[in-house]
Amino acid sequence: MAALSPLSVALLVAVTVGLSGAILAWRERPEPGATWLAVLLAGQVWWATFLVFELEATTLPAKALWYDVQWVGVVAIPIGWLFFALAYTGYDRYVTPFSVALVSLLPAATVAVAAAGDPGNLLAVDRVVRETAVGTFLDVVPGPLYYVIAGYTYLLGVAGSVPLVQLIRDDAQPFRGQSAALLVGTAAPWAGNLAYLSGALPIPGLDPTPLVFVVSGVAYLLALSRFRLLTLAPAPRRRARQLVFEQLHDPVFVVGTEGLLVDLNESAAETFGTDRHAAIGRSAAAVVPRYDAVSDLDADGEKPRAIPIVGRDGQRPYEATVRDVVDDHDRTTARVISFHDVGAYLGQQQRLNVLNRVFRHDVRTETNLIQGYAEQLRSDPTDERALSVIEKSADRMLELSERTRTAGELFDPTEEPESAPLPRVVDEAVADARSIDSDARFDIGEIPCVSVPIVLRVVLENLCSNAVRHNDADAPWVRIDAAVEGDWVEVTVADDGPGIDPAEYDVLNRGSETPLRHGSGIGLWIVKWGVDHLGGRISFAEREPRGTVVTVSVPVDRSRPSDPGAEDDAPDSPVDESASVDESASVDESASGDETGPSDAAPGAGR
Amino acid sequence: MANERTRPSTPDGTTAGYRSQATAPDPGRLRQLAAFAAGAPFAALVAAVEVALVTAALGVPRSTAPVAVGLVAFAVYAADHVADAEADAGSTPSRARVALRYGDQLMTVAAVCYGLAVALAVGAGPAALALVLVPGAVWIGYATDWLPTAGDLVAPLGGASVPRLKDVFLLNSAAVALAWAVAVVAAPLAFAGVPVGAVGTPTVGLLFGYVALRSFVDVEVPNVRDVAADAARGVTTLPVAYGTAGTRRVLLGVDAVAAGLLGAAAATGAVSGAPLVALAVGLAVSVAVTALVDRLGNAALGVAPDCSYLVAAAALLALGW
Repeated sequence: MAALSPLSVALLVAVTVGLSGAILAWRERPEPGATWLAVLLAGQVWWATFLVFELEATTLPAKALWYDVQWVGVVAIPIGWLFFALAYTGYDRYVTPFSVALVSLLPAATVAVAAAGDPGNLLAVDRVVRETAVGTFLDVVPGPLYYVIAGYTYLLGVAGSVPLVQLIRDDAQPFRGQSAALLVGTAAPWAGNLAYLSGALPIPGLDPTPLVFVVSGVAYLLALSRFRLLTLAPAPRRRARQLVFEQLHDPVFVVGTEGLLVDLNESAAETFGTDRHAAIGRSAAAVVPRYDAVSDLDADGEKPRAIPIVGRDGQRPYEATVRDVVDDHDRTTARVISFHDVGAYLGQQQRLNVLNRVFRHDVRTETNLIQGYAEQLRSDPTDERALSVIEKSADRMLELSERTRTAGELFDPTEEPESAPLPRVVDEAVADARSIDSDARFDIGEIPCVSVPIVLRVVLENLCSNAVRHNDADAPWVRIDAAVEGDWVEVTVADDGPGIDPAEYDVLNRGSETPLRHGSGIGLWIVKWGVDHLGGRISFAEREPRGTVVTVSVPVDRSRPSDPGAEDDAPDSPVDESASVDESASVDESASGDETGPSDAAPGAGR
Repeated sequence: MANERTRPSTPDGTTAGYRSQATAPDPGRLRQLAAFAAGAPFAALVAAVEVALVTAALGVPRSTAPVAVGLVAFAVYAADHVADAEADAGSTPSRARVALRYGDQLMTVAAVCYGLAVALAVGAGPAALALVLVPGAVWIGYATDWLPTAGDLVAPLGGASVPRLKDVFLLNSAAVALAWAVAVVAAPLAFAGVPVGAVGTPTVGLLFGYVALRSFVDVEVPNVRDVAADAARGVTTLPVAYGTAGTRRVLLGVDAVAAGLLGAAAATGAVSGAPLVALAVGLAVSVAVTALVDRLGNAALGVAPDCSYLVAAAALLALGW
């Protein structure tokens, strides 16, 4: 066999490198872009292979035949490049059988024209054999279709380069390296082809594009091996980021600079009962809960504060965080407002704080009392008063212990949330309180038969027992009423006792105790924690002529059949009744006089 | 290995010493190297020698065919070892460990080797290119799921599904043997640019048959070693179907047919002289290996059949070719 021409030897290098890259890319399937990169490289190998055959052929018809066969590879390259770039950068939704077929129409037509023997000289007006020092090749005078397919190739090349250019500016070094290698691999053949089309080459008629495939192949191999092109593709990032936004447990809203809602995640729609499609485009003030308070937050990292908001699970304290969305020119294009439910965290903090006080103050006080009177008993075993004080102190400690246990059980995360009809809950709470003082009188108003969380029983038990235990009347009186309004049930417990010390409200309002400012037990705390746990609210008021009225509002459990009018809706959302939300506040916010909590009832509840 | 810092040697921590560790040759690494060399590189060497033997037997001018076929053999075997590394862990644990640990590197080298082989074939012309693509195409059908997938496309509503070629009894070995016979016999002709007619169809036909039969034996002998793994995977081979003794009888029969072809070549003058003697020596070694198939160790079973070609090549060189 005759020795190969220098051009052929150079092309064989391109074949070796290109085929190696194609095999490695093919092996990485189904990684994003792997198949299309293999198509691209296979196209290069095809072109170079049949150009070698053209160069080594000895007759014009043979050279013309191999020239026409090259078109398969020529047109495959831009198709492979475009769809590789789209799949690799995460725009795979544009890589569909339809789009592939559409993009392949003109290339397929070109191959068909070549296979048909170039009727009408569409691809080549003239073909002559040109002998040069580097090889004998076919010098082709391009026809009209040649320029059309060349322009089309450049168009696809530019389209594919756009998403890759974006990656060059990416923060991640591997992606910068990958995209740079890919662009070099693509730009090199373009440069060769431009030189050919512009006639800038010293050898007229020689298209050096396949020769430059050596550079392309090396660049692609470098990207595949050094920069882990297909095993570390950026394609999942786009979807992953979207997934994080959608699946984030915290509600998130995106508000444009004009105050219109741009986007919200699934949690936001779910938590606040918002229709996503209807909400987008509306004023943020009408959709984002407590937008007036939230929008004033400093986006530069102001410490977030808890804001009570009524959502699907009732009223919960949320920490709102605002972050600016900034474009490449440091212009703020939107604000991301996220809400983080801190109810569990705040509750734990409060319980820790209160239980610390119980052990540090209450238990210690009672223990000192017992020790003192025990000493007295030692000196005078007949001192009945000392014995009585010790017994009462022990009783208080026992009661404290029982309530502490109740507080612990109230928030047992392993317990399945249970519900019960409200009349039963009220009866059980009253029975418990009645056992404290058999002289106590209980009036029970009309109690609607709705299903409520079983935790409400603990709340009512404590309210009723407090009303009896701390009542100085001979026959304490307690009245319980309940009313349903919308998705909420409001239960009031009224008594004729001496009233609750405002200091007790104060610590509940502040949410924490100090050594100097603390409550006298944990009964009211259990009530508050229970109501918070249910996403409800509580308020206290003085009763005329004497006593206290405590009002507890909690969401009705609509998932239970005990409520004949049960619907599957969440409690009215702030979206629909933003005014009532704005005016409402939890016990944490309000501290006016003897009433803790909002003067308004829960949204939709009325008074 | 770099120096490794030691813990302070005194309780108060005042002495922070350094301990120098001498690096002894790692016998495990040497074993891995040997296992690797006995895999794809050895197969490549044998394939190249095989082509050189057939080149001599055909009497055609020397070409790049042995190199190209050797490169293809390396690529195909290396890729196959990587693809089946987990399944091969039972039969060839050392080679499987190498394939698992250096899978990416082996595949890169295999890809470059195949690319180089194709480039050599392109330089030799269209016929050589087509030939070099044959083993690669067969390997794709042999080791991948293309065939079942294609079968499902043809008959998607059920019926008999098309199994992986690697799992079809006898056809698997026969396909490999035929592919290699095509490549080994036709490559010297294609790479040298010599038409079949110039050599003589009987010569080419007899050599093709000889190489195909020998390749079949070469494929089935290592299956004696792999019998447990193949049975576990549900792959039927001669040893799985007929046991070791039955396999020996079948393979000796195949060798006998190969001997008959060689005799016919000698009788007709299709092959003569030193190449004929070399091929006969190779056949004799193959018969010996087949006869000892139940006495050879696992490692020997993997390389012994192919060693027959090396012995034949040595004989050829010794005879002054």
